[in-house]
Amino acid sequence: MAVVCKLRSIIPEVPNLSPPSMFRPTAFSTLRRGFATQLLPTSKSPISPSLSFFNSVTGDDTQIPTYRVLDGVGKPIEGAEIPEITRDFARKMYEKMCLLPQMDTILYNSQRQGKISFYMTSHGEEAAIVGSAAGLDFEDEALAQYREAGLLLWRDYPLDSIMAQCFGSHEDSAKGRQMPVHYGSKEYHFHTISSPLATQIPQAAGVAFALRRTPSRRDKSIAACYFGEGAASEGDFHAGMLLASTIPSPVLFIARNNGFAISTPAAEQYHGDGIASRGPGYGVDTIRVDGNDALAVLAATREARKRCLKGGRAVLMEVMTYRVGHHSTSDDSFAYRARSEVEDRKRIDNPIARFRLFLESQGWWNGEEEEELKTRLKTEVMKAFKKAESAPRPPLGEMFTDIYAGEMPWNLKEQKEELKQLLNKYKDYDGYKKELAKFTKKGEDVMQ
Amino acid sequence: MSLTTTTLRRLPRRLPLLSQRRTNTTAAADNLPAAEPPQAGGSIPTVAKSAFMRNTREQALRAPGITFADAAPGSAPSGNLVGGRETRKMNMYQAIRDAMSVCLATDDNAVVFGEDVAFGGVFRCTMGLAEEFGRERVFNTPLTEQGIAGFAIGLASMGHTAVAEMQFGDYIFPAFDQLVNEAAKFRYRSGGKFDVGGLTIRAPCMAVGHGGLYHSQSVEHFFMGAHGLKVVIPRSPIQAKGLLLAAIRDPNPVIFLEPKTLYRSAVEQVPIDDFTLPLSKAEILTPGSDVTVLTYGTPVYHCESAIHLLSSPPPSLAPHVPQVQGAQQKIRGASVELIDLRTIVPWDIETVVQSVEKTGRLVIVHEAGRQGGIGGEIAAEVQKRCFLKLKAPVKRVAGTDAPNGLQYEKFQLPDQVRILDAIVETLSY
Repeated sequence: MAVVCKLRSIIPEVPNLSPPSMFRPTAFSTLRRGFATQLLPTSKSPISPSLSFFNSVTGDDTQIPTYRVLDGVGKPIEGAEIPEITRDFARKMYEKMCLLPQMDTILYNSQRQGKISFYMTSHGEEAAIVGSAAGLDFEDEALAQYREAGLLLWRDYPLDSIMAQCFGSHEDSAKGRQMPVHYGSKEYHFHTISSPLATQIPQAAGVAFALRRTPSRRDKSIAACYFGEGAASEGDFHAGMLLASTIPSPVLFIARNNGFAISTPAAEQYHGDGIASRGPGYGVDTIRVDGNDALAVLAATREARKRCLKGGRAVLMEVMTYRVGHHSTSDDSFAYRARSEVEDRKRIDNPIARFRLFLESQGWWNGEEEEELKTRLKTEVMKAFKKAESAPRPPLGEMFTDIYAGEMPWNLKEQKEELKQLLNKYKDYDGYKKELAKFTKKGEDVMQ
Repeated sequence: MSLTTTTLRRLPRRLPLLSQRRTNTTAAADNLPAAEPPQAGGSIPTVAKSAFMRNTREQALRAPGITFADAAPGSAPSGNLVGGRETRKMNMYQAIRDAMSVCLATDDNAVVFGEDVAFGGVFRCTMGLAEEFGRERVFNTPLTEQGIAGFAIGLASMGHTAVAEMQFGDYIFPAFDQLVNEAAKFRYRSGGKFDVGGLTIRAPCMAVGHGGLYHSQSVEHFFMGAHGLKVVIPRSPIQAKGLLLAAIRDPNPVIFLEPKTLYRSAVEQVPIDDFTLPLSKAEILTPGSDVTVLTYGTPVYHCESAIHLLSSPPPSLAPHVPQVQGAQQKIRGASVELIDLRTIVPWDIETVVQSVEKTGRLVIVHEAGRQGGIGGEIAAEVQKRCFLKLKAPVKRVAGTDAPNGLQYEKFQLPDQVRILDAIVETLSY
């Protein structure tokens, strides 16, 4: 960013032009000789006699810098400004950063025991998620990929609801229809997660445009759209960036660059300077942040959010982190990366430890409180876990609802009737009996 | 490379418009509000003379199933309330434009967008809307179909009304993921907490005489398995306005496919008030007792011609259309029940089955290829329900299972002779 500003300082010599930063000094000298007046009909590009290619948005072939506030031991780095943060706010951030792995560990293990079908942890990305969530407003519309449960925790979404979703119990607001970790809540402004990657990106532009068109929410709320660096390879990323910049829509795009898309390392995902380098191509204000530094993520999110509201258009934030956990419970990441690499990252650059050291340096946290917190969180998670574990599934008839609003089409009515006949005919078959027993009303709502 | 690709892609997209302009010399009528609609034109001259066009005010106001938005609930059937209502002669693109104008005027949360819609659209369906309602409500998008669909889904998920256009049905496929995996499943997967009921995707569809591979396709069958979406295809200006307004207001995402060859060629009197026609309701265009012909969109008019040829074949066809078959079965004098399906998903099985139970014979006609087409689905359901009533196998007259080859259209798609042949074969089985 600094380099871009320096180059811009040369610009005033050329009236009414904003040449991109990639022009080298030779190009600028020709501009001064008056070539700049010959503009192309559809561009403000200055004319240059220099046959010069470029492949960097910083102008000097360096990579885009990563914004950081705290060093590895929680001390502000030289020149960094600590964002405005109160003791209570910081402690809440820390608590949620600790709750996330507590919850992850219990649910991960429960999948290993076959109690839930699937799970995805956020290990290593606690600061990226909680830090950004803390920089948003509660009413900002969140559109997530799947590794952002920390945002729900930040918004005090009940653990009971999280567990109900993972278990697909009758208390799940989505009626047990989606795989675990596909959370959603209208009240918490968290759009229901879906598995297809990146589809939420152009949707976020539409959500943000709707916010602008809603008088009570215009200039107050933004859409916050999360996705991984792998998802950014989808065409929907391109579409979403384009739409939110050309059709002014206040979306904060938050790319979690954690180095891997399942087994594919980021180096096989793109050849350029990460995701951030693409932002300027779309005319989008962009920043790259150290995702293991909760304060940097918080400060960047707050500033990005302000820009969204002020400019009314998209802002891109690339949050650099590392996926410490496996991709999901269906993945063994040591098949494609060394265990030692992961262990090293956990030890050297732990986002929770870094933030804890900061809290301690402020006198806002101590070892005793740490012990108390860990015990309390574990109890809370276990309590919610136990409650969901024994809960029945929703009524079987919910299989047929919410497909269409209004009257159920004849084909669905007929298929529900077919199931009724089938169940009444075969209800004594062990395979059906056992399965029916898991549902609220034991299938009676369909059978009668 | 990329420049060439872009140029190639953009050029063909304009072709149908330019060529249609050539067939229509009254270009002044492109400017709305038009005193006189443009003359009928297009690749099927029979459309203009169709008996299904409602050419008088009285006929237009009594269109079956018509519901006026301002009619008091519980009042007498609106068909009786024709007094004081006006109609105007419109072609199909004007009726569609009129529907969107009504939608924008009655719903502050409605927006209309897509590629090139701000200047009026390549088929003129959004003429003057940007000027009338402002660029924040009627606007261009970048050229990205998956983006348009995704953007529309996002808007609709916030409770807004999104009327998005895909420039051609042929280009809806980049948006297939957004429509099938996202829009269709939005309500179900959130347990009804989120929905995109305010979403309507409009797209021109079907052949236009010279559209080749990518300006001719019928795409409705690809969405038949997308549980949660509705698919609607109108046949005329009144149908287009009433069904489009119904689609926009339906609490489900709807794909509204407009037979592009009818944009200018189909002209009738259209009520100027705000009205809807029912979704998932087929319309019996001509009642009959010997054979049911089921179709939708452009082929409605080929079927009409075929039925006419059946009763009075010209000398060149007469040898192939016997007066009677066997002892009693009348061929030329056969009574044909013609049904316009109108809503493809969820379709009106009741009307279709009732008709086939009466006639015992069914011919299904569509432009889309036979394999995987709508006809297979309908045929399967009909044979299941009407097995003992069927007097002949269900016949499908469809496009060949080939891409839409530019020079082969006449022999690839159902025309009046193929339909005639199918009706004769079915009657003489």
